[in-house]
Amino acid sequence: MKCEEFEAIGLDAERDASLSEVERAAAREHASTCSRCAALQDSWQAAGVELRAFAEDTAVAQAPARVEMRLRQEFRTQHVTLKVRRTAAIATWALAATALLVGVVSWHSWRRSRQEVAANHLNSVPAANNFPDNNSAIGANHKTSAEVPDGMLERGSAGAGSSETLVADNELSGFTFLPGAFAADTDEAAILHVRMQRSALGALGLPVNEERAGEWIQVDLLVGDDGLPQAVRLPQ
Amino acid sequence: MRIAEQDRDDVLLRRAAKGDEEAFTLLYRRHQAAMYRFALRMTGNSWAAEEIVQDVFMTLMRDPKKYDATRGALGAFLYGVARNRVMKHMERLPREIPLEEKNEDGTGSGIVLQDASTPAMWVEKRERRQQVRAAVLELPVEFREAVVLCELEEMSYEEAAQMAGCPIGTIRSRLHRGRALLMAKLEMLRSVPRRASVAR
Repeated sequence: MKCEEFEAIGLDAERDASLSEVERAAAREHASTCSRCAALQDSWQAAGVELRAFAEDTAVAQAPARVEMRLRQEFRTQHVTLKVRRTAAIATWALAATALLVGVVSWHSWRRSRQEVAANHLNSVPAANNFPDNNSAIGANHKTSAEVPDGMLERGSAGAGSSETLVADNELSGFTFLPGAFAADTDEAAILHVRMQRSALGALGLPVNEERAGEWIQVDLLVGDDGLPQAVRLPQ
Repeated sequence: MRIAEQDRDDVLLRRAAKGDEEAFTLLYRRHQAAMYRFALRMTGNSWAAEEIVQDVFMTLMRDPKKYDATRGALGAFLYGVARNRVMKHMERLPREIPLEEKNEDGTGSGIVLQDASTPAMWVEKRERRQQVRAAVLELPVEFREAVVLCELEEMSYEEAAQMAGCPIGTIRSRLHRGRALLMAKLEMLRSVPRRASVAR
């Protein structure tokens, strides 16, 4: 072993596990024959002793307790914050999901009600279309459901939002025009069911049977838009 | 829940990651002294060492997934993190060597008197240790690291190489150069008092 080699690997040959036994023996032999390298090794061993003494001084050194305290505090803060964040995130998602659900349900029920209205409308249109004489002498008359006699309620009226329905022309048949009234005046007329004494028919210009003048009868009056009766129909 | 002392580091770390403070504390207590000693020997500054230890465990706390148990022990991982922090500290304050180290209670240096020497001997020893400490701290960082790991931490060359992230040959060469510089420095310090006493 040469001096350079000894300086590189021989000084600590006994500790260096990567060296082979042959290399260690060579280092020992060199140190025993070369006074310069032997002195170098002595010097290094003396330095080693001092280093170990220095190491011993710091061997029991520990981080101060305040470091642990700070770290634990930080740990708590971090994990509490994480929990709060997680809870907030979950709550936000839950609220969003609820809002979405409410929205979907509302939209669905709105759509359903719209469909029902449309269906009712469609159901009522054929009823009107079945009577091509709608624009005849009497015209398109309106009638409230309250005014429609039992058994004459139009189809699909149950549950419908509208209180007005179209009345078929044949419903207007049987009316007798009062004196001075014209068919043309009945365009916007409405049928009014009234209960009156038979004698009151005289006031409308109709003949009255004196013997039955005190009877109460049900009469349909066709009332014009001026509020005056235009025609009358006596029940059969 | 009580944690068994012998629980493995990775098990403790998993618990700590789930918010188990006790597990984190146990991990800290297991490894803090080694980290602190390494940082103190590298920086020579107890405040810096304290800060480095805190940083190391903050890293572990904030991102425990950085540690991969299949790649080695947690201690080695923490050494690696501490080493990076030390290097950053050195870059930031390349020549910072505090004039005097104070203990927490404000007394003297971090050196602990453990023998029953006479005051004169104690003073001489203390001076000598301060000289050694100064000599170590004056070494260039990479040589200092090799000396601290191999001579002060008493790691094998292989362990030191693993820690420093370099081949064994590099560690050996750094150690060789570090020793040469250290010996020269210590020789110089030894001879100065001698020459001073001869002059007198």
